[in-house]
Amino acid sequence: MPEPAIVARELRKGYGSKLAVDGLNLEVPRGSFFGFLGPNGAGKSTTIRMLTGLIPQDSGSIEILGYKLPEQELEIKRRIGLVPDESFLFDRLTGMEFLEFAGRMYGLPRATAVERAHGLMHLFELADDGKIIGEYSKGMRKRVAMAAALIHHPDLFLMDEPFEGVDAVGARLMKDILLDQVRRGATIFLTSHVLEVVERLCDRVAIIDHGRIVMCGSMEELRAGGASLEDAFVRIVGADRQMERLDWL
Amino acid sequence: MIAAILRAQFLSMRWGRGKGSVFRFVPLTIWYLFWLAAAVFAFVLAREANLASLRLDLAIGFLGVTVYWQFMPMLSASMGMGLDLRKLRIYPAVHRELFLVEVLLCFATAVEMLLVIAGGVAGLLANKEAGGWALAPRILAPALILILFNALLASGTRSLLGRLLARRKIREVVILITTCLWMTPRIFMQLHIHPKWLGPVEQALRGPVFPWSAAAAAALGDWTPFLTLGVWLLAALWFGRSQFERNLHYDAIAAQAMVVRKDASRRRSVGEAFFALPRLLWRDPLAAIVEKELRSLVRTPRFRMVFVMGFTFGILVWLPVVAGGAGAQHPAGSSYFLVFVCIYALTMLGPVTYWNCFGFDRAAALFYFAAPQPISQVLIGKNIAAMVFVYLDVTILSAVVGSFHLTAGWGQVAETLLVVGICAVYMLGLGNMSSVNYPRPLNPENVSRGGTSGRSQGLLLLFYPVALLPVFLAYLARWALNSELAFLVVLAIAAVIGGVVYWIGLDSAVIAARAKREQLFTALTQSEGPIASE
Repeated sequence: MPEPAIVARELRKGYGSKLAVDGLNLEVPRGSFFGFLGPNGAGKSTTIRMLTGLIPQDSGSIEILGYKLPEQELEIKRRIGLVPDESFLFDRLTGMEFLEFAGRMYGLPRATAVERAHGLMHLFELADDGKIIGEYSKGMRKRVAMAAALIHHPDLFLMDEPFEGVDAVGARLMKDILLDQVRRGATIFLTSHVLEVVERLCDRVAIIDHGRIVMCGSMEELRAGGASLEDAFVRIVGADRQMERLDWL
Repeated sequence: MIAAILRAQFLSMRWGRGKGSVFRFVPLTIWYLFWLAAAVFAFVLAREANLASLRLDLAIGFLGVTVYWQFMPMLSASMGMGLDLRKLRIYPAVHRELFLVEVLLCFATAVEMLLVIAGGVAGLLANKEAGGWALAPRILAPALILILFNALLASGTRSLLGRLLARRKIREVVILITTCLWMTPRIFMQLHIHPKWLGPVEQALRGPVFPWSAAAAAALGDWTPFLTLGVWLLAALWFGRSQFERNLHYDAIAAQAMVVRKDASRRRSVGEAFFALPRLLWRDPLAAIVEKELRSLVRTPRFRMVFVMGFTFGILVWLPVVAGGAGAQHPAGSSYFLVFVCIYALTMLGPVTYWNCFGFDRAAALFYFAAPQPISQVLIGKNIAAMVFVYLDVTILSAVVGSFHLTAGWGQVAETLLVVGICAVYMLGLGNMSSVNYPRPLNPENVSRGGTSGRSQGLLLLFYPVALLPVFLAYLARWALNSELAFLVVLAIAAVIGGVVYWIGLDSAVIAARAKREQLFTALTQSEGPIASE
């Protein structure tokens, strides 16, 4: 059995007196489409940032694709594709220029980077019309971000809300591309608040609440009893309560 | 509503206190101490002057106040505090109240002028010939009207400039013309040029129809100038208000829309050749980083404006000095002119390049930390790109100065290139530490705001003397020993020490970037409150 794509043990990260991630244990099998869910402020983005080495953990251990963080940070970064929650695109470059730049930063020869960038622009239906990224719509920016994550053909994708702000056509396109990546053996670790998307794409799911994993298993296990993912999620994070009403509203 | 805006601004600013405010306090204190001294000077002049000279000098003083108040924000590329209308436009706010806040903020832009006016008015009150305390209301009223006139005019000017500077291709021309307008009288004076048309213009400026002359005449006892002042005040109110209204409905994003040309025009091929240079000199990822920086900076309005200022300001500030009477008296000043202006350009480019090198990247700086490259490569790449622009400025300056025959030939040009390079090594070393420890997001579209953080501004006061000291010592050695060899030896030692400083600075910045990357991301993604400053 191949070693897991991600192994996190007793991961902790605090901001002042608040623990954003509190003893998180996680194992993501290789080749899986893994959904990482949780309510707002549960610690999803902090976890992704720790897994990519963008922020250091206070304690605990992380292994990505068999490499240890932070000791083998550069080896790990070479093998992962990241789509963070905040835009990390350089606004004054065109989409094409950014993809070429990303490819070269990931060690591709320039000619290969240019060739792949052209291919990705076409695949993601982005026009190479010389428009700079600063003038792209949110959906277009997400497409560029995902294309940049793909350019070096990584083994593991870490994606924080990749479909946020993307229209239905774009989302469909991105989902198809991601499923293709899983078919070729890549692992995808994805957070999304759109539970229907997670339900349709992911084969395994973990739910984080208050910095701890409260549930981890296959989609079937989660939906045991015929409930939808949304019902299961609401029940697990304890948000299943009557909505309060304001007199004036 | 005004209270709500001010409270939101106060709450937005509360996290900016602490050490940053302390560092900001140092340059601000020095700046305002200087203007306090100017206010005391104005007080003494106004108290001691007789009525005849007051009639002339007061009008000139008030003219100076008006010119400074209206032009200085443009020249410093810092329009001061203003409402961020993009954030406030969504609320059903009464425009009149918003305009009132905007005008009040204009007072904050010219506190130094308020100090000088206060000094001058206090001097008039102490001057019995001018009426003294007995005529305090008559002296104070025109001064207050002039202040209000300036605030309204500044508000309108800022709105108008904000829109003009937002337009592509126009902003650099505007800043160039403004700079020339500001410097022309000084050049005329220094070069003893007195065109025929200048006399009538001078007379007209002193004429009673202008607000500064009217304010001076009113302060000294005439009543009719109050009418003139009232008319000017109404005109400024109309101008300020109408410009503010136009700003409220202005689509800055549409005006700034930019498409990088895809056609195979000559301009594009020249541009691409420039961007391809790093590929010829370095390997990836360094070449990719330098290329990305060159492309990004060239397309950043804020940077382009400072780049233009880099070679225009130095010349316009120093050329009259060396070419005019002072230059004849101090030939040493003339022979070091090119070095002066090039180091001046190096310091001008600092806040938009090496002092805060992640500023324009903002949240995208995260990419550098996600990519499998050491952060030292990123810093070196950014430093190289900064130096490309510094040396472009130096080349332009050398050409201009050479055309005025103000250099001693190629030897001096070579010396300048060397000296600028050595100064730059120190500044880049210190700048890398400043960029990582005190990052601040810069809006690339906003040409009138941004720069280094408060802490950096304070540190610059320490950094500049440190960075320039070794080169200064080299020149001192040349002067004291009258020896070129001594100069070159000290310069060589300065270069070696500079190299050490650079590598120590780089190492320190890399360690700090690893340790403080969270703070760096947080700082680079911060946004301002309803009032945008600087």
